[in-house]
Amino acid sequence: MQEQLTAIVAGVRENAPNIQKRAEFEAYKATISGPKGSLTDVMKGMGKVPKEDKPAMGKAINEAKKAVEAAFAEVIERLEAAELAAKLGPAIDPSLPSPDSVRGTLHPIAQVREEMVNLFRRIGFSVAEATEVETEHYCFDALNIPSDHPARDMQDSYYLPDDLTVNNVSKENDEKYLLRTHTSTVQIRTMLKEKPPIRIVAPGRCFRRDTPDATHSANFHQIEGLYVDKNVTLLDLKATLDHFVKTIFGPKAKTRLRPSFFPFTEPSFEMDFFSPDLGKLSNKWLEIMGCGMVDPKVFKAVGIDPEVYTGYAFGMGIERIAMILQGVDDIRYYYQNDVRFLKQFA
Amino acid sequence: MKISYNWLKNYIDLDPVEHSPEVLQEVLPLLGFDIEEIEKLGPPQLNNVVVGQVLEYGQHPDADRLRCCKVSTGNEGEVHDIVCGAKNFNEGDKVMVALPGAVLPGNFKIKASKLRGQPSAGMMCSSKELQIGQDHDGIMILDAETPLGTPVNDLYTDGDTVLNLEITPNRVDVLSHIGVARELAAKFGLEVKYPEVKASTENPAAGEPLISGIEVSAPEVCPHYTAICIKGVKVGPSPKWLKDAIEATGQRSINNVVDVTNYVLHETCQPLHAFDAAKIKGGKLVVRMASQGEKITTLDDVERELDGTMAVIADAERALVVAGVMGSVDAEVEESTIDIVLEAAYFAPTSVRATSRKLGLSSDSSYRFERGVDPKGVIYASLRAVDLILEVAGGTVDGNMIEEGAEPPTISEVNLCPDRVRKFIGFDISDDEMQTVLESLGLGVSIHDEADGTARWEVAIPSYRQDLQRDVDLIEEIIRVYGTDKIPESEVVARGINDNDHRIYTVNEAVADYLTGQNFDEAFLYSLRDPEEIKFFFGEESFKVLALDNPLQSDQSHLRPSLIPGLLDVLKLNAARGTGATRFFERGHVYREVKGQMVELVSVSFVIVADQISREWRQREVADFFTAKTLSGEILDIAGTAASKLTFKPIEDCKLWQGGHSAYTGDFAKMGFEATCGLLNVATLKDRWNLTTPVIAGSILMTPKFFERKAKRGRHLGVSNQPASAKDLALIVDQSVHAGDVEKDVAKFAKKATQGFNCESVRIFDVYEGEGLPEGKKSLAVTMSFRAADRTLKDKEVNTAFDGIQKLITEKTDYQIRK
Repeated sequence: MQEQLTAIVAGVRENAPNIQKRAEFEAYKATISGPKGSLTDVMKGMGKVPKEDKPAMGKAINEAKKAVEAAFAEVIERLEAAELAAKLGPAIDPSLPSPDSVRGTLHPIAQVREEMVNLFRRIGFSVAEATEVETEHYCFDALNIPSDHPARDMQDSYYLPDDLTVNNVSKENDEKYLLRTHTSTVQIRTMLKEKPPIRIVAPGRCFRRDTPDATHSANFHQIEGLYVDKNVTLLDLKATLDHFVKTIFGPKAKTRLRPSFFPFTEPSFEMDFFSPDLGKLSNKWLEIMGCGMVDPKVFKAVGIDPEVYTGYAFGMGIERIAMILQGVDDIRYYYQNDVRFLKQFA
Repeated sequence: MKISYNWLKNYIDLDPVEHSPEVLQEVLPLLGFDIEEIEKLGPPQLNNVVVGQVLEYGQHPDADRLRCCKVSTGNEGEVHDIVCGAKNFNEGDKVMVALPGAVLPGNFKIKASKLRGQPSAGMMCSSKELQIGQDHDGIMILDAETPLGTPVNDLYTDGDTVLNLEITPNRVDVLSHIGVARELAAKFGLEVKYPEVKASTENPAAGEPLISGIEVSAPEVCPHYTAICIKGVKVGPSPKWLKDAIEATGQRSINNVVDVTNYVLHETCQPLHAFDAAKIKGGKLVVRMASQGEKITTLDDVERELDGTMAVIADAERALVVAGVMGSVDAEVEESTIDIVLEAAYFAPTSVRATSRKLGLSSDSSYRFERGVDPKGVIYASLRAVDLILEVAGGTVDGNMIEEGAEPPTISEVNLCPDRVRKFIGFDISDDEMQTVLESLGLGVSIHDEADGTARWEVAIPSYRQDLQRDVDLIEEIIRVYGTDKIPESEVVARGINDNDHRIYTVNEAVADYLTGQNFDEAFLYSLRDPEEIKFFFGEESFKVLALDNPLQSDQSHLRPSLIPGLLDVLKLNAARGTGATRFFERGHVYREVKGQMVELVSVSFVIVADQISREWRQREVADFFTAKTLSGEILDIAGTAASKLTFKPIEDCKLWQGGHSAYTGDFAKMGFEATCGLLNVATLKDRWNLTTPVIAGSILMTPKFFERKAKRGRHLGVSNQPASAKDLALIVDQSVHAGDVEKDVAKFAKKATQGFNCESVRIFDVYEGEGLPEGKKSLAVTMSFRAADRTLKDKEVNTAFDGIQKLITEKTDYQIRK
C-alpha cells in the first residue's frame, strides 16, 4: 500500500505542473481523488488493513492526501493567475491619450457673471430674474424716463408690434412691448412684488438697436444691483462698489465716483476704476458702471415711501467687465463660440 | 459741447498754472462733465511757413481747377511758382505759404515738384492745414498790412485748448461758456464775471418801424417771444476774436451778424435768430403752427415738408424759420443786409424735440431748446447780442423791444434739511461746508429754525437751474462740488438675512454644472434670428408673432423660438475651422407662439456630433437617441420634474427633428415644460448647415411660472432588507407597439396580481426582432422584481403572482407570451 501511495504522490507531482486548463485539471483530479480515483481506492482499502497496522497506514494516507492537495492547490493558483492575466490583457501604455472627451467649460461671459453674482451673494444680495420682453412702462416710465427721453427713440430699442400680446409679460396700460434695454426693469418688477428690505442682483440679457462692432452687440448682458431699506446711504453704495472692484480687479485697483445723470437715480455717478495690472488698459481710468441713490420718483412709481426708505442701485455690462478681465478686444468673439476661444478661460 | 479755454477766460479769472487746461481736464469730469476729446488749436511750431503775396496768377494749361501763381515771400527777387487749387484769392492778396522743407501737421512734407506738368515749389495753406482754425473752404487771406516773410509762428502766437465736454441731458445750462465758468467758479471759489449789457429794451424809434408787430398764435409752443430791430448794419467778415471763438467751437464763421448770434448761443445757451428785415414780407412776424404740407428750405439747403404739429416763425406769406430748430434760406442775413430783426424766444422743449425728431434735423438751437433753456434768459441774451452786433457791424437799435407773452414760471425755492442730508449720505459734512457749496453755485441759502429744533434751509434756485427741484437734487450738488473723492472708504455692511435666489438662476447653475460635467462646452448666441429660418421650421404663425417691429438688420428680425439653430451655427463654425469640438449647450430665453400670442420661455439645449468614424485609437460608444433622452430627463429632473415618470412620444414628421428617431415629452403650454430629443433632421442639417454627420440634440423649454413650483421634500419610506425574487417574461408584440406601453401594462397587472408583498420594479431589458419571430413582430423581455418587507418570499407565492400576471396579459392584451 505504501508503494501505491508513494506512486500516486509521485505521479501527481509529476503531472500536476503540466496541467494547462481548468477542465483538464478537473478530469485529472477525478482520477486521483474522485469517487473512482486511485487515492480514493487506496483509502477504501483501509478496512482490510490489520488492526495493528492501521495507525501507520492512516498516517501514510494522510500524508499522501496532504501532498496531493498541496499539489492541486498549486495548480489552482497557477491556473487562476493565468486566467486573470488573460482577462486583464497586456499591460497598458499609460502614455496613450485618453479617447474620452474632457469636461466642458462655462462660457467666458457666464464665468464672469457667476464670479460677480457670487461676490454679491456673499455680501447679502440674492438673485432676481425677469423676462427679456418688457413694456415701456417697466423699462422706462417707472424708471422716470419720460416718453420724450432720447433713450426711448425707436432708434435705440427693439419694439414688438402693437397688435401683439405677450402671454406672460404684464402691461401697466396700453404701452408697447419691447426688448429690455437694461436690467433695471428687474428693479421695478421686484419692488412691485416685494417689500423692503430688498437686496437683489439681477444678471440678464439686454438688447439695443446698435450696429454691431467691436464694442456693440445686438444683445449683451448686464448685472443690476438694488438695495432698498431704511437708512441705506451713499456711503454704503461706495463701500459695496469699492469691495466689488477690489475683489474682481485686485486690491491695487482704485475707484472714483464721477457725477453723472440717470433718470432713475439721484445723485447719479459713473464708477471708474484704475489698475496697474491690466496690460494695455493699465493705469488709466476705465468706466465700468452707472450707479446712484434710487430716485424718489422711482419709489413713488412702485409704491414705496421715499420718506421712510432709501436705496442704491447700480448696473454694469458683463461683457465690458469680461473684456477687461480676459483681455478680449472684440465683443463678437464671445458670440462666435470657437471652442479654442471658449477653452482659453477655463 | 466744445468749450474754448481762451473764451472761458472772459468770464472767470483762470490762473494759467492753478487752473490750466490740464487741470480743467482733471476737474471737469469729477464735476460731472466728462471730456470726450481735447483739441489743441493754434499752429504747432512750423518751419518754412511764411507770409507771401500773390503777384500774379493764371489758369493752369492742363487743369481747369488749378491756378499757376507767382508768389513772393519778400526777399529780393525771390518769387516762387506755386500751383494752387483754391480760387478765393486775388492778385496782391497776402497768404500763408509753406515752402519746400516745411512739414505740415499730419507729417505732410512740402517738396518742390511738378503738378500736371507745371512747376510748383510750395503750397498756399488754409487755416485748417496749419491748425490755426477750422476753415478749409479756401486758403487763408491775411490782412494787407502783414509784412512779407513773417514766419507763421510769429503771427499766430496764441494757441487755444478746446475741451469737448459730454453734457448730461439734465444740465442744459452747461451747454455754454458761462455755464462752464459757473461750475469752475464754484469748484475753485472764483467769481463769475457776467458780461455787462449796455443795450436797452427801450429805444426811441426813428421813422418807419422795421416790423409792425409780432403775432403769436401758438403760445403753448412759444410762451415768450421778443424781437428787437437794428437799422443800418454793415454785414461783413467777423473780426479775428469773433472768428477765432466761432471756429474754436467747431463752427464756420459766416458773417459778423450771424457769428454774433452763434457766439451768444455758445456764451449764454440762449439760441437767437437774426432776420434780414427786408426779406420779411408784410412787415410782421407770426409765430404759428405750420399748415399740413407747408414747405420750407432750411439753411442746410434741404427742402422740408412740415405738418400741423410743428411751429414756425413766418411773415405774411411764408414760413421763415422752423421754430427753435433752423432758419430758412429765405430770410438769411447776407452781405447785402442793411436792417435786421433779432429774435430771442423761449420754445417749449417737448415741441422742439418732437419737431426735430420728425424732421430728422438737429441744430445747436434745437439741442438746447429741447432740453429747456433758461426761461428768464431771453432778454439778457438778446441785449447782449445787440451790444455785440453794434460793436462788430455798427447800426442803431430802432424802437423798443417787441415782446409777446411772458417768461414761463420757474421754481424758485427748494427746502433742505442738513440733518437729512447727513443721514442720506451716511457721513459728516458740516452745515457750513454745505452752505458754502450751495452759495458757490449761486444758490442762496436762508436758514429757518423749526419748532422741533431742526433747521430748515430755503434754497433759492436760479432760473437757469430748473433741474434742481427736490432736496435730493441739492444733495447731488453738494456731493458734486464737495468732491466725491472725499466720501470716506468704509466696510461693507451686510444687514439682515439673504433671500432665496430665484430658481431660474439656481436651476440654470445646476444644469450648467451637469452639462459641463457631461463634457459639453457652453455657447452664447444671439436672440435674434433670420425670418426665413423661423418660417421654415416653425411656420407662418410663429413667423408673424415673433417678428420685431423695427429690426435693424433683415437677417435679425425675429426672436428665436429655439436654441438649436444657433447651436448648429456653432457646430458649423467649429467644423469649418477644424476645431474638433462635438458637444455644445446653451441656456437662454426663447419665444414661442401659442394661439396667436407670444410666450417667453426659459430653455436649455444641447447638441452632440454623433460621429461614427472618430479618429481615436480606441472607439467609444457613439451618442444616440437614448443619450439625449437621459440628458434631457436629467435636466428636467434638476428643474424639478420627476423625469422617470415621463413618457416620450415619438416624432413622426418634422423639419427640425428626424422622424422616427426623435421624441418629445411634456407640453409647455399645459404643463409648464417640454422636452424634445433625438436625432436632428439629417436632410435639413445637410441643406442648411452643410453638416453631414448625424447630430443628436435635446431641447428643454420651461415657462417662468414652472420655476415657482415648490420643491417636494422626500419622506422616508423604509427599505426592505429581505431578498428579492425575480421573474422574467418574453412578450411577442407588434413592431409598432411601444416598449413603454408594454412596460406600463405589465406594471399595472403586476400591481393587481401581487398580494401580500410588492412588485418593486418592471423593466424592459431586451428587445429582439428577426429569426424565429413572425414578420412584423418583436419580442420584449421584461423582468419583474418581487419583495416582501418582512420575510423571504416563498416560490409558491411568487409563482402565483407570476401566473396571475400572465393571465391578465392574456386576457387584457393581445401580447403573446413566449414560452
